[in-house]
Parts: sequence; C-alpha cells; structure tokens
Amino acid sequence: MIPNAAALLVLGVLLAEPVSRALASARWPALDPTGALLLWQAVGLAGGLALLGAGVSFGLAPLGPSLPAAVGALAGHLRRWDWPPGLGPWQLLALAATAALAARLFGVLGLAVTRTLRARRRHRDLLDVLATPWPAMAGARVLAHPLPVAYCLPGLRSRLVVSEGTLAALSPAELAAVLAHERAHLRERHDLVVLPFVAWGATAPWVPGMARAQVAVAALVEMRADDVARARAGHLALAGALRRVGGAATLSGRATLTSFSAAVSGRLDRLDRRLGSLPLALRLLPRLAALALVAVPTAVLLAP
Amino acid sequence: MAGLGELERAVMDVLWAAPAPCTARDVQDALAQRELATTTVLTVLGRLERKGLVSRTRDSRAHRYQASGTREDHIATLMADALAGAPDRGAVLVRFLGGMPPEEQAALRDLLR
Repeated sequence: MIPNAAALLVLGVLLAEPVSRALASARWPALDPTGALLLWQAVGLAGGLALLGAGVSFGLAPLGPSLPAAVGALAGHLRRWDWPPGLGPWQLLALAATAALAARLFGVLGLAVTRTLRARRRHRDLLDVLATPWPAMAGARVLAHPLPVAYCLPGLRSRLVVSEGTLAALSPAELAAVLAHERAHLRERHDLVVLPFVAWGATAPWVPGMARAQVAVAALVEMRADDVARARAGHLALAGALRRVGGAATLSGRATLTSFSAAVSGRLDRLDRRLGSLPLALRLLPRLAALALVAVPTAVLLAP
Repeated sequence: MAGLGELERAVMDVLWAAPAPCTARDVQDALAQRELATTTVLTVLGRLERKGLVSRTRDSRAHRYQASGTREDHIATLMADALAGAPDRGAVLVRFLGGMPPEEQAALRDLLR
C-alpha cells in the first residue's frame, strides 16, 4: 500500500497547487463555465480524497495488502482489544495528521455553513420587514435606497431583491436581464457551488492554489449566470444593465471602487466578444476529466 | 408567510411614526381597522424584538415598545451587506455585480453612513 499512498500524496499535492493554479489562469473556462465549474468541484473533491487517503493508506499499510483488507484487520484487532501489530510511531503520526486535516477541513466547512445560514436568516428577517413586495414581479422585493443593487438571498426561502436605484437606472429589458441573472444563481444553487471554496480558501490562504480557486469559482458562477441572462433577455439588455448598474456604483462611490468596476468590465468584454459555445467534443472534455479525477483516487483506495 | 411580513411592516410603521414608546394596546388602536387580537399584536412585537428592530422597556405595569433605529438606518445596513458582505460570508448573498475587495467595502460602508 506504500506505493498507493505515495501516488495519492503526489496527486493531492498536484491538485492543490499546480493544477489549481493552471485551471485558475486558463482561458477556456470563459467559453464553458459549467464544464469548468464541474472540473473545479472534481479537483476539490479528488484533492481532498487523495490527501486524506494517502495518510490513511500509509498509516494502515502494515495491516494488509489493500485499504479494505487493512480496515477489516484493524476492526478485528480493535474488537478483540489488542493492539494491531505493526502500528509504529510513523503510522500513528500519519493517522493523527490525517485526522487533524480532516477535522480542520470539515470543521471549517461546518463553521462556514453555520455562519452563512445565520447571516442569511438575519438578513432575510430584516428584509421581510424593510423591503416592500414588488407587485410586478412575483417573489421580488424592493429596497428603498438610491444606490443601485440587485441581489438574491439563496436558500430554501430565497429572496430576490432590487433597490429603487436599480429600478430607476434600468430599462424594463435590462431589469429582466438582471432578474434572469439572479434567478440563475438561485435555481442552480450557486451559493452551494461557491461555499466549499470560500471555506477552504479562508482556511489555507497561504496555499495560492486554494485562494485562486475561490476567486476563479466565484467568477465562473457570474459567467454562468450571465450566459443564462443573455439567453433569456438578450445580449444588449445584459450588457446595458452591467454598464449602467456597474457604472452607477462606481460614479456614486469613489475612485477606490476600481477593481469592482474592473470585474464588471471583464464581464462586459466577455459579452462583447460574443463567445459562441464550444463544439460538443470540447465540451465533453472537462466533464470526462472531472469524472476521471474523482474516479482515480476512489479506485486506488477501494481496490481489493 | 407574506401575511406576517406585511403585518410586521404595518406595526413598524406605527412605531416609526409614534412620538413616544408605545404599549401593545397603542399599536392595536393605531391599527384598529385591521381588528387584530391583542395576542397577535404581542406576537408580532415579540418577533420584531427578536429581529432587533424593536426594543422593549418596562414602565410601571405596561411594556412599552419603540423602534430601535430609523428605517433608513436598517436599510443602510442591508445595503452594506448586499454591496460588500464580510469575506467569510462569500456565499451568503449572490449579487449581480459580484464581490468587492475589503478596502472598497470600507469605503462603501462610509458612504452608506
């Protein structure tokens, strides 16, 4: 099992750093945000599985020729209350490190989920009192404020919110584009897609790959929602909305809002290049890669 | 629960318009045309208190309720949440215009004050 553990360790480290870095700076994801998002999920899942699997495989290697056999042997020893032979300090160290890593990853994720849900509930509680329902659009609410914002509160009891500033600034077609964008976020649960990367990016900010993954996934989710909005409301309406709302926020704010508007201009550029969709064969590629990425460490771990 | 939200808005409007802290009875009278039961008014006031929109003081025998902040204050809080949001809350809201770096969030918070 030692070669397996070594291979998994290499795979995990490759995914956490060089692969994440390469995927974050690749240009093709702009053409196929959905495929890229699937690949990111697979990179995250396979990376975690490989790193944790490497530690467990190394730690349990003296107990059997494969992980299922070793786990069976360990269970047998523990049931008879005798110390499994071959478990020395190195093995215990590896198992302890793995347990610590797992506790950290899931602990951080759990904390992020709790915080997110609490912040969302608090926001929704206030929103339901302070924002007025918008009769023209079922499920949408209007917030009386001149700055243009449009956002949604994801979850089982989701809310779609626009400010009076947005209503004043946008034409009906542009407003439809903004709402289609937000509805895409809600329907496809982009909050859940982003959440693990936000959590893990915050845990290991010193691993550049993880920090960049967070930024890349957030940008891809916007691209995906833009694609849906463009299909629903048209290219011109969406570009107009981005220009007006993005520009208005910059104008009414200060010169310091530069990278905020830089993100907007990146999205405008992408729309203006009117990217067509990739041919089917190329769209299959990231999806198959995602599948393979998850399948390989799973197979290595479970092989008898 | 759209009905409850609507009732909460109506009660807040009464408290925002009132010159002094109100008893549940005052609120009930102000909304007389709705013919609310006293327990309903108390329930709504309790919910608003939990949400941090209303504070309660005890004055000899009656509880008095008052709005804890103007409507504009609370809307500014929501706007700050919506436009910036703390970094560890990246998935709380999903915005049309995406996130904003911390130094810009600070500038925006100043702007919303």
